[in-house]
Order: sequence, then C-alpha cells, then structure tokens
Amino acid sequence: MSEERIWKCAKCGVELRTRKTIFNYMERTVSHDVPVCPKCGKVFISRALAEGRMAEVEEQLEDK
Amino acid sequence: MNPEEATVFTERCFNGEPASCSFACPFHLDLRSFLDKAAGGKWSAAYKALRSAVNFPVVVSKLCPRPCEGVCQRRATGDEPIAVGKIEEACLNYVKTRKAESYSIPPKNEKIAVVGAGMAGLSCALHMALKKFGVTVFDKAEGWGGQLREHPDFALFDEDIALQFSAVKAEFRFNTEIKSLDELSEYDAVYLATGRGGEGFGLTDSWDSTLMTSSDPKIFLGGELCGVSLMEGIAHGAEVAKVMEIYLQTGKASLSHGTYDKNYCGHNIDHSGKESVARVLPASGGAYSEEEAKAEASRCLKCDCDRCLTSCELLRMYRKKPVKLAVEVYADSKAKPPIAPCSLTRQTFSCNDCGYCKSVCPEGVDIGALLSLGRTVRVAANTHPKALHHFWLGEMDFATGEASYASPAACEYMFFPGCQLSASSPELVEKAYAYLSDKYSAGIYLGCCGAPAHWAGEAERMSKNVEEIRRVWENSGKPTFVFACASCEKLFAAYMPDIPRVSVYQLLAEDDSITPAAGFAEASVFDPCAARDFDEMQQSVRRLAEKSGTVLEELREKNRCCGYGGQMKTANPKLYNEIAENRAALGDKPYIVYCANCREVFLTKNKDCTHILDMVFGDGAAKSVPSLQEKRDNVIMLKKKLMKDIEGKDFVPKSNEWDSLTLIVPDEVTAAMNEKLITLSDIKEAIWKAERDNDKFIDENGVCLCSLVTPVIIYWAEYIPNADGTYSVTSAYSHRIHFKEEV
Repeated sequence: MSEERIWKCAKCGVELRTRKTIFNYMERTVSHDVPVCPKCGKVFISRALAEGRMAEVEEQLEDK
Repeated sequence: MNPEEATVFTERCFNGEPASCSFACPFHLDLRSFLDKAAGGKWSAAYKALRSAVNFPVVVSKLCPRPCEGVCQRRATGDEPIAVGKIEEACLNYVKTRKAESYSIPPKNEKIAVVGAGMAGLSCALHMALKKFGVTVFDKAEGWGGQLREHPDFALFDEDIALQFSAVKAEFRFNTEIKSLDELSEYDAVYLATGRGGEGFGLTDSWDSTLMTSSDPKIFLGGELCGVSLMEGIAHGAEVAKVMEIYLQTGKASLSHGTYDKNYCGHNIDHSGKESVARVLPASGGAYSEEEAKAEASRCLKCDCDRCLTSCELLRMYRKKPVKLAVEVYADSKAKPPIAPCSLTRQTFSCNDCGYCKSVCPEGVDIGALLSLGRTVRVAANTHPKALHHFWLGEMDFATGEASYASPAACEYMFFPGCQLSASSPELVEKAYAYLSDKYSAGIYLGCCGAPAHWAGEAERMSKNVEEIRRVWENSGKPTFVFACASCEKLFAAYMPDIPRVSVYQLLAEDDSITPAAGFAEASVFDPCAARDFDEMQQSVRRLAEKSGTVLEELREKNRCCGYGGQMKTANPKLYNEIAENRAALGDKPYIVYCANCREVFLTKNKDCTHILDMVFGDGAAKSVPSLQEKRDNVIMLKKKLMKDIEGKDFVPKSNEWDSLTLIVPDEVTAAMNEKLITLSDIKEAIWKAERDNDKFIDENGVCLCSLVTPVIIYWAEYIPNADGTYSVTSAYSHRIHFKEEV
C-alpha cells in the first residue's frame, strides 16, 4: 500500500488495518502482515508487495 | 518411471570422464589435474597427486614409457604431445619436501604375505600396509627391487622405495625363498609377484586378469609373473590391494567402484579453434627449469567435453552436468513436495527446447529432450508450478477453440499459418492464403500445432490436439500442410510424421514472378531454432530475401533460439532476457526472420527486423508488436473474414458482460500488462465485477483497486471511474500466491 494513501473498503466504508494473513501456494502455507478490511476481511495486495516479496516467495516455493 | 528412462538420454555423455591420457596411463593418473597443478607451480600438490597414483614416483618418472603422450590430444592443434615425463621429473626436482603417504586409521587383524619384493610386490605391500594390514614381504634376494637391482639408477629407486615405506609398518624377509604355499598358511591372503619366469606354484594358468585371483581363493597373482610390463605390474599392486581388501571383508573377491577399462580411449574432443602452442624445449638441453616446466604443463588442453555446458545459456546458468540432470529428472518424478521436494524445477521449466545442446554434442546427447521429459513427468505427477505455463495453455485453448477455423472443402494444400502469425500479422496470413488459393487447390486451417502443450509437458492436451488436427486433415482429403512457422512444422514432424509438409517459403521462392520488397539494404537472416533440420526452408527464405535485392550477411551462429522457445519467460525472466539480448547481438545488421515469435522478441529488444512474408506481401518495414488483446482480436477478425469469404457465413464470437466496458489504458500500462501476461479482458472482468458488487478498495482521491481471483493467477487493477462511464486504468499487476480471507 502506498504510504501516503488511505484506502478504504468500498463496501464496508472502513479504513484498512494490518493483519496477519495466511497465504497458500504449491501446497505450502506462509503468513504475512497485509492490510485487510477489519469488517469483511477483504485482503489488499499492493503492487510493491505483489512484484517484490511475493514474487520472491513464489519462486522459492515453486523451486521446492 | 524407471531411472533408465531418464539416464538413457545421457548414457553417451562423456563429460567428466578421465581424459584420453588418463585412460592410457597404467595408473589412471588424472593428468588434467596433475598438469594443472604443475602449470601453477603447485609442486607439493602435484607431487601428492603423482605419488598417490604411481606409488613410487621416482621409479615411474624414470622408467614409464608414457603411453599418455601417445594419445595426447595436443596433436589436434598440430603440436607435439605434452612432455609429461619431463614435467614429472621437474615435479620431483622442485617439490620442497617429498613425504611418504600415511593414513590415520586403526590397524587391522588380517595378515598378508607378499612373495616377491620386485616393484609389483612392493606396490601391493605398500597399499596393504597403508591400510594397516599386517604385511610381510618375502624375497629370495638380499633386498628389494627385483630386476631393478641391476639398473644403473637403482640407488635412486632404492631411496624412493625406502621413502614410501618410511611411514608404514611392513616386515621384509629377504634371503627367504618360499618353496611351498604351505609355508604361508598363517596368512589370510597372499600376493604372488615373483617376476618374469618366477614361481607361480601351479596357479598361473588359473589367473583371472581382471580380479587377479587364482583357483585358490586367498592367493592373488600379478606383475611380470603374469606377463605384464613393469609399469602395469606396479599398477597391479594397487589394484590387487583393493580386490584383496574386499576379499578380506566379504570373503569374495570383487572389483571396487570406479574401476574402468584402461584401454578405452574413444573420446577425442573437438579442439577446433584452439591455438597451436609448440612444446617447450629445455634451454639446458636436459631437465626443465621451473618456469619451463610450468609453461609446458600449461599447454595441456584439459580435454573434457563441455560443449553443451558452455554453449547453452541455461546449462551455463545452473552448471549441472548432464548425467546429474538425468538423475535429478528421475528423482523429481518421484518427489512428493512439500514432504520430499523437487530439485530441478527452475531448470526443467527454463529450457527453450531449441535443440542446440544436441546439435553441438559430439554424441548427440539431447538435454532438451531430457528436460522435456522432466516437464511431462512433473505434470503427470501434478507437482509442476501451474502458473508457469498457465497463460500459454489458455492461448492454446483459445487458438484451438473459439479462434479455430478450417475451410471445409477438400484441398491439395492446407495452409497452416500458426497461431502467432495469425495473431500478430493477420493481413499477411490473408494475403498468403489468397496467393496459395489462387495458385493451388488450397484451404486454410487456423489452429495450434500444440507447441504450448508440448513445452508445458501437457501430454494429454497434446495428444487431443493431434487427434483434432488429424481429423481436419482426413476430412480435407489428406492435403499437404503448408507451414509459415518452423515450430509448427517441427511438431508436425515429431507427432504426425505421415502428414506431408512444405513451407510457404519454399512455394513462394519457387515462383519467379515474386519480387519481395527490401525493408533493409543489408540484413542477416535469423533462422529460428525450430528450422534447424529444415534446410529447404532456410534456403528458400534466403532466395526470397536475395530476390528483394537485400545484401545478406550470414550470422556467426545459426538456429539459436531467440528466447521465446519453451515459453519459459515466466519461469525465468532473467535467463530469457539474457538469451534474447545475446541473439539480438549476434549480428550488426537488421534481421530478416521467418518466425512471428522471433520477430516479437527482437522488436521488443529494439532490434530492427522484418518478417520475410512482410517483404513478400507488404513493404518489408518493421512493424510494432500488438498487445495480447489485439492479438486475440486479430485472430477473431481473421476468422470472421475467412469464414465470410470462404463459406459466406457470419461468425459470431463469444461475448462477455464486461466486453462493453471502455477502458482507457496508457501505453506504459499496456506494456506492463504484456510483460506480465495480463490481458485487457482480465482487467475488464475485474473492474466490471468490482463495480457491479462495489467489491473494491477506494482511496481518498477516488482511485479504486480491485482484484480478480482465478484458480491460478490473481489479477489486480487500479483505476479511476470517469464521469462518461469509462475507466482509466492506472496500474495492473498479478501474483500467483493465493490468500485466505477471514472475517
């Protein structure tokens, strides 16, 4: 999430909060703190996360 | 899968085998390593290597007839063989201290008798003593050395023998002739090495030359008693010691691992391009100076085949040797991740499948086919990362489904332009088909050869597509297929060899009335990897290019993959970029290509290039690369037009609720989407669903972010809803990891 921007869940109208979230890939599970809607649980993945750390972990898990 | 199904691919690979000189050496001395140490002036290390192999380095360096020099591959550059003997002599001269070998291992209880203190017997005695067996050597003479006692240099040999035995315990009983084997009944094993014409106690006829055993299980024979040379006798001593140890441990003599046929020397390396370097002659006329010895040793060509490992960017990146790759392909077929992980995933899915490795291998070892098998077994075991080929399999589904079209009438020639040419240059396909149908009884078949399935290792998908192609072929009266894409033709040749084939370039080149347009005054033909075995196709493209008046310059390497092959970019973008850039740099002139994929790769790398069909049917100028969505739309438009022209029918493509959405996408976002294999349709679907359900995030400026979760990929779109009902897309990205949403 861009530092200056304040994102809200459009449906719930509430600001996002960072929460530990479970990720699954290649039959493995990892957890990471990401912004989510505290009301409906909708997960927010920023471009920086998707193309940065997530891409690295994807490759690591694919290689195992 | 059996291990042999993988190892059969590399059984002819001789990478890592001893060089021809080592095969010829009675001691199998690793001369590559010895000479490398000598070249670096590492005399202590060189001495250790020499001593370990030959046991008595002074004796051997003086007396060995050097069969290694007889097979030295330095001759391939027109030079004299490496002067191994003189370098060994230099090693003994320049090593600071000559030490005897010794191992810190506990003593063993078994007792060994060696009859004969000649070099063969001493060699066995030394090895058994090193392994801490109780060794007793008998000889009727008054000292060791056997026939060498008469040699003028015996004083030197005597010193060498004494040195090598100085760090071990062995008992020598000289002036003791063994007259009957009964005298040796207390020993657990006996080695008879009584020399040429020596006493064999009636066992020489039962001698086994491989195991050096006799009809008496505990009696071993070797050396000149068995008719071998002095050097082979010394080598025997080391070999028999290994067999004897196994006999003492297991009660049965057998060979240890790593034994190889010393007479085998069948693999010479291709040394073309290596510089000639003349043998160093000692200025003194006698022994080498230290510098002379180092220079002479550095002439060694270190003969080992690494053609594929140095020629292919993929093999160079991972440095795994072919034989190991085969073992790992098999191991990965049995892996059960996450409990038992795979070891070769990235490499398996990074191969261009271009066949270059096979083409440079002197034995034709096909690593590409091995890795192709690797992908197939991983898909069969469902342990493959699906995201790596997901997009392209979707494109294949599109090309063989909605976008597929075969003209219904029977024909003699069936134009099969290939999905990528139809997608990027539908006008060329149209013109080429018009040309063919004007000249021949020709039909057209928009479809897919199955390359995405073949490259992904999806065997079942591949065979279904082959069935469909066969059905079309038979329905059309079994025509000759006319190809514009070498990859299509290659796969037809492999999977449907009975379908007759010709390239559209050959048909065009045979027509004297055609004068192609010259896009460039000077150019190089870039032959796609898949055309390696299609000489007629390669020549036809050159004939067409020459007819245009273009001056052609041949590239220094032919049929290298542009990077697209294997659709491995998702698996290994770094390697893809390296390969694409290397190919773009193969020649200074613009390229004339005859593969739509090569064209796309080079244009995205800013290398001037044109498709030969653009020279035949267009102006020959370089064109821009269409987006993923434009490609899909192009094929649908082409199908629509062909169906209308050929059958008078209207084709109504499938539609989605989100098709009517108007997105404004800046060029840089489109480029990023192409790079990440995200289509406009994916983004439209995401935005349409987000707007319908208000299922999105929104920031303080009204910028929205939404996602589309599919079974393999999760897409994200950042956009601004405009007042006129359009949406301006500001960013699009994707990832493969799925997340769990919890309330």
